[in-house]
Amino acid sequence: MRRWGVLTVSVLEVEGLTIRFGGLTAIDDLSLAVKEWEIVGLMGPNGAGKTTAFNCITGFYKPNAGRVLYRGEDVTRVPPHRKAAMGIGRTFQNVGMVKSETVLENLLTAQHTKTGYGALKGLTGATSVRHREKELAAHADAILELLGLTEFRDRRLGSLSYGTLKLLELGCALASDPDLLLLDEPSSGMGPEESHELGERLLALRQALGVTMLLIEHHVPLVTAVCDYVYVLNFGKLLAEGDPEHVRNHPEVVAAYLGGEAPEELEATEVPEEQAAAVEELAEAAPAPAPSPRRAARRPRRTGASGKKEAS
Amino acid sequence: MAVQTESLTGFDYTQQRRTGVSAGGWALRALFLLPVLALVLFLPYHSDDWTNDAIYAAVFAMVGLSMNVLVGYTGQISLGQQAFLGIGALTAANVVNTGTTAADPFTFAIGIVAGVLVAAGAAALLGAIALRIRGLYLALVTLVFGSVTADAIFTIPSLNGQDAGVPAYRPTALQGNFAFYVFALAMVCACIYVDVWIRRSKVGRGLIALRDNELVASAFGVNVLGYKLLGFVLSGAMAGLAGGVYAFWSQEFSDKNFTSGAGFNLALIFVVMVVVGGLGNRTGVIAAAAFFALIDPLFTGFAHHTGWLNWYTDHKAYIQNLVGAVLLLQTVIFNPGGLGQVLRPFTTWFSGKRFSLHDEGDAAGAALGGADSVRA
Repeated sequence: MRRWGVLTVSVLEVEGLTIRFGGLTAIDDLSLAVKEWEIVGLMGPNGAGKTTAFNCITGFYKPNAGRVLYRGEDVTRVPPHRKAAMGIGRTFQNVGMVKSETVLENLLTAQHTKTGYGALKGLTGATSVRHREKELAAHADAILELLGLTEFRDRRLGSLSYGTLKLLELGCALASDPDLLLLDEPSSGMGPEESHELGERLLALRQALGVTMLLIEHHVPLVTAVCDYVYVLNFGKLLAEGDPEHVRNHPEVVAAYLGGEAPEELEATEVPEEQAAAVEELAEAAPAPAPSPRRAARRPRRTGASGKKEAS
Repeated sequence: MAVQTESLTGFDYTQQRRTGVSAGGWALRALFLLPVLALVLFLPYHSDDWTNDAIYAAVFAMVGLSMNVLVGYTGQISLGQQAFLGIGALTAANVVNTGTTAADPFTFAIGIVAGVLVAAGAAALLGAIALRIRGLYLALVTLVFGSVTADAIFTIPSLNGQDAGVPAYRPTALQGNFAFYVFALAMVCACIYVDVWIRRSKVGRGLIALRDNELVASAFGVNVLGYKLLGFVLSGAMAGLAGGVYAFWSQEFSDKNFTSGAGFNLALIFVVMVVVGGLGNRTGVIAAAAFFALIDPLFTGFAHHTGWLNWYTDHKAYIQNLVGAVLLLQTVIFNPGGLGQVLRPFTTWFSGKRFSLHDEGDAAGAALGGADSVRA
């Protein structure tokens, strides 16, 4: 187990979270915990409810049942902007930034909760406001430097590449000095090289800033590299949890990702560039894998994905 | 979080980006500003007709800025802005109407401030209703708000001087038209100052963020409902100020200017002029607003000189709307950034940057995309 034994303070705790849209139960009795200093992964096939879980945690959705605890405080009904002020930062799956503004302006907007002056005082243009705005801009510049994006400072978002946008979005999330960072597929649209770089960056950021992170991620090597603990969702239910090595070999997890029968081993290191292609390939390879004696002994092969949930 | 700041030290917070413009460069810019100054100050000083029209243009400029806050920054449509103008005018006129023929400066100031506050309050009311609706429904609600306010409040006999209009006497110091024009310009400058600081502070960033994407805005910590309401209130306050100036310009409040056809016509002009000026672009909006205020005097002057005055007088109602329609169409189809986009190379040059015709474009125009921005 790579779970940090000493630091057991839960930054985020989700208890029995359930949300229904009409007749569909998008999330069913989800419980998870993110402890101080941890990077926790949230995996699951498309439509498993990962982003919905994020939206419940950050307050965009009101869950039908369950609680969200942030540092022991019940924040289930706290609206998103107040959660942002409490130190919960988030990114979006399809780049959540202000498209019509420049890079610098986005980083300034991201520091909204850190301005330290009221809206009406801002309109007076008082000296303290001017001074504070200069500080905010300097902080934005520092973040750009940290991420190596200084050259894009005054560009509008429309002219930037997707990878740059994803990185900048991370910068925006960092600009508000978050305590807990929720990242929705930070590596989407990135090649293996870039996502490897991203993994190192995330670890470095934790080292430098002490940010606790919860990330939705599909890219198995990245999850293996950065996550201390992984939760896997399927059809809104928690399918498995554990450290990354354990989870990626979990037969139900493999079955959930590929559909049908569970192959014996999902070789993360062999996942090619395009994830979709990889899944297809693996799906084709699935029916006849060479059985690994160790695993075959521990877990008998299942005939479908409908096996009972294992205690992990 | 202390760690964050610590890890980012070694950065000089006091450093400033230098503009790199020489004294000669600034002198050249000042030289180019002279014609603008001549238009704004010297022309009204020398001709009383011009003063009169220029005050009207100043009122429109304030309304333009108020529309800019609401439509340009906040991304909310208003087809009832004339109601705030009317409420400001009604309040100001009623406050100073104490029976004397010249208001004392103190009462006058109170009248203007009261107009601003009451209009802001009315805007807060509309904003509260409008918070959770958008697009076509918001347009309809504001439209109905405008006409209902006009018909219900402006026609109360005790408020509109028993249908004869409420006199709005200026204080002695502002009796002269040019003196009053200077006052109106000062009020425009106040609006510009607020607008500048909306843009430079977290207020404008919050408004623009929620205009672009409410989810992202709230993830950034912007209180979306609160800021939307703030957008309405700021917009209403500016329109209320414009209303106060309008009342003292015409020296009376008459409900006829704001009810039914006249009021709706104003509302349309206000929307058209802010789009033609360029959503979110201060300079463009002010220029377009002034132009729309001056269409009639300009055309009258032209018709007078060419001998078409009678024909023009007969047809001027729709000629003005036709000009607006043509300008709106060309803006929406060919130039979504509006007049502000066209002026942009010059405005950036005046602000101390290099002159460049290839600017990346203005935020609002690009984001909202012309016709879509009207969202009605």
